[in-house]
Amino acid sequence: MAQISIDGDTLVVEIEGLDKLWALKSRLAIPLANVRGATADPGIVSGFFKGLRAPGVNIPGVITAGTFRLDGEKVFWDVHDAARTVVIELADERYARLVVEVADPRATVALVEQATTSR
Amino acid sequence: MGRPRGFDEATVIRSAAELFSTRSYDGISMDDLVTHLGVHRNSLYKTFGSKRGLYQAALRWSLEHHIAPLIDRVAGAGDLAQALHVAVGEPAEEAGLNLLLMAVVERAPVDREVADQLAPVLAAFDQAARTAAGQHSPAGQHPPGEQHSPAENARQDEDDVAFALTATILGLRLRARAGTSGTNVDQAGAALAHRLTRHP
Repeated sequence: MAQISIDGDTLVVEIEGLDKLWALKSRLAIPLANVRGATADPGIVSGFFKGLRAPGVNIPGVITAGTFRLDGEKVFWDVHDAARTVVIELADERYARLVVEVADPRATVALVEQATTSR
Repeated sequence: MGRPRGFDEATVIRSAAELFSTRSYDGISMDDLVTHLGVHRNSLYKTFGSKRGLYQAALRWSLEHHIAPLIDRVAGAGDLAQALHVAVGEPAEEAGLNLLLMAVVERAPVDREVADQLAPVLAAFDQAARTAAGQHSPAGQHPPGEQHSPAENARQDEDDVAFALTATILGLRLRARAGTSGTNVDQAGAALAHRLTRHP
């Protein structure tokens, strides 16, 4: 699970608990200018091939965490519970998008949308 | 930014506008969009950034291709009865007006950019309705908070009537969506126009 917050002009994604180990990341900081949008998207998890783990762990139905490469893009994953998945699309960042589980997808989407449109 | 696309963006936006005109924004998942539009999820994210990004592109497209021509036709309708007939009686207008209606009800209150996008469109609709009703005032809108002369009061009155006419058009579309047949809606518009012009 990830904790998402806004700190000034930065979107902060904190990876919680043991997921830090699986994802090999504890914190991502993205300038809001590079955040294109956020979408609650449970369906992305059950989807097809997520890409090559590089590095990461993918046990379907249990956990998808880490960096995955697909279509020449790097995607960061940290999801156990598909129902609470949010997709954050980025521009000009190491990751093309972040696919993370959050406590309240609707609130997270609203937070990101508000932060990226009020600038 | 290089974005390889295996699809026609304009076609996808048009299909999305159709989908968003039939179902609520929150009721449409990315799965629905992927299925309905026939485009890979990754491509949708890459091109539009988010569901909201796609929605905004669809709304923009619909306002430009459905609503703007409709506003022109309402303005050129000649009289109020014809204007209401044009606005609510033509099946071709349904998708655009439905999306506008849903955007006003559902998205504008929670999405400032949508509200900002809709405000000038609704104002243009008001202006067209006023023109059609034969109450056109070339001086345009007056700034709020000023002392009003009788002429300004009359203009305010015209603004208010135009505002109510646009609300009527959207309201008739709402009734049509609630299951009232197209003919009844058209008749209702004609009856109202008749009443208004009989008792100016």
